[in-house]
Amino acid sequence: MPLDLNDEEIVRRTLLDKDAFALLIERYEAKLLRYLERLGVGVREDREDILQNAFIKAYKNLNSFDVSLSFSSWMYRITHNEAMSFFRSKHARPQVILSEEGEGLITELEDADSDASELAELRLSREELAKAFATISPQYRDALTLRFFENRSYTEMSDILQVPVGTVSTLIYRAKRALRASLPKQFLP
Amino acid sequence: MNTPLNKTSEQLAKRVLGRINDEHLRPRPRWEFLLKNYLFWGLGALAVLFGALAVSAILFEIQNVDWRLADATHPSVLSFFLATAPFIWVFVLALFTLVGYLYVRRTQHGYRYSLTITALGAILLSLLFGSSLYAIGFGGSVEESLGDHPPFYRPILIEERSWWLAPQKGLLGGEVASVAPSATSFVLRDFSGHEWNIDTDDLSNRDLGYIARGGTVRVIGPPATATSSVFHACFVFPWTPHGIPQHGPLPSPLALVASTSGKGENDRSQECKGIRPYQQLHRIENSWY
Repeated sequence: MPLDLNDEEIVRRTLLDKDAFALLIERYEAKLLRYLERLGVGVREDREDILQNAFIKAYKNLNSFDVSLSFSSWMYRITHNEAMSFFRSKHARPQVILSEEGEGLITELEDADSDASELAELRLSREELAKAFATISPQYRDALTLRFFENRSYTEMSDILQVPVGTVSTLIYRAKRALRASLPKQFLP
Repeated sequence: MNTPLNKTSEQLAKRVLGRINDEHLRPRPRWEFLLKNYLFWGLGALAVLFGALAVSAILFEIQNVDWRLADATHPSVLSFFLATAPFIWVFVLALFTLVGYLYVRRTQHGYRYSLTITALGAILLSLLFGSSLYAIGFGGSVEESLGDHPPFYRPILIEERSWWLAPQKGLLGGEVASVAPSATSFVLRDFSGHEWNIDTDDLSNRDLGYIARGGTVRVIGPPATATSSVFHACFVFPWTPHGIPQHGPLPSPLALVASTSGKGENDRSQECKGIRPYQQLHRIENSWY
């Protein structure tokens, strides 16, 4: 099967030949595993199980895929919902690991209310950010993860989290405020 | 596939496809999703329809509450407001607006609409359909048929009738059953079926005109005992419920008598001038349309 096919075309082909689904799995596995890690699913086996369930669910509901959304947003939505079910069923607390990226979030937090010259000396470390990240509510953490680690637009976030775009803006605003409040005192304005 | 998959992806793809084969999984048919979507839109529309019924009942209540006589029937404006405000219907409208939002939220793209937008849309549609239902005379039926069921609520017309079954407060309402030939008295069948002989000595030409036209009237006079059958009338006001299709009263030959035999508006007896909101009633009488 040609690799340059877009996702929507592969979905159409999968409905005729289930083997075509492997191409979508290959395309999204790494991204979604990383997303699950950022959501706080700490154990690799758990991430793989969740992802396997998410792909099975996507396959069973392939006819509900709406081409007005991107397949990516739809797949992120299913994965997100599976992860939330996982946390609920295991009564597990998300384990936040911010191993890379998130520079955008650090910049956002530093730019907000602070004097840039002071912050040059008080550079927010990833560990401090991860600690603060772990203390905020899962809802806020999800919003910040999608926006600053997955680089999703507000519209895509609306489709993934299944909330209106206006609610996404509010969520991000409140999440940043909550995160800033959880940072060590020297970073508070 | 024409390119090598990385090891983990290949494993995951194999596992997923293996499960699909082993469990004979197939994509659910498209019609199931379409049906579900239409079902929730349909339920949302149904909620709007119930909201519209509530709006028609609210309009019916608002139209039928007679503020002009509030001073005669209630001790204060607040008590009158509490007795007549359509709280239950506003609650029903709010409830079905919320239910409509919850159903629309479950449609395919329902999550894109905020509560505010959806609620405003549902209320606007309810107002539109509700006004139409009221205009075709449906509001009264809704108000009476649905409103009669909750134990804590009385339809507005029944509530209002109860205010006018109080001869001990000088308030009496009912149908004009018959009028004496010279219009010196008339028989009123009150809302409980009891017949009253009403003395018209103190009534103005306008009052006598209302009696001559027949139909439902409200009579105000000095307090009388509930067991009595005689009532002295000082004021008469017609009562025509709004929002209910009805036929106009037939013209009566007594209208002619009424126009010539009534008292002047300032000639009422001291007995009538002593009733509590006399001045207000006098003003209301002059401005009555």
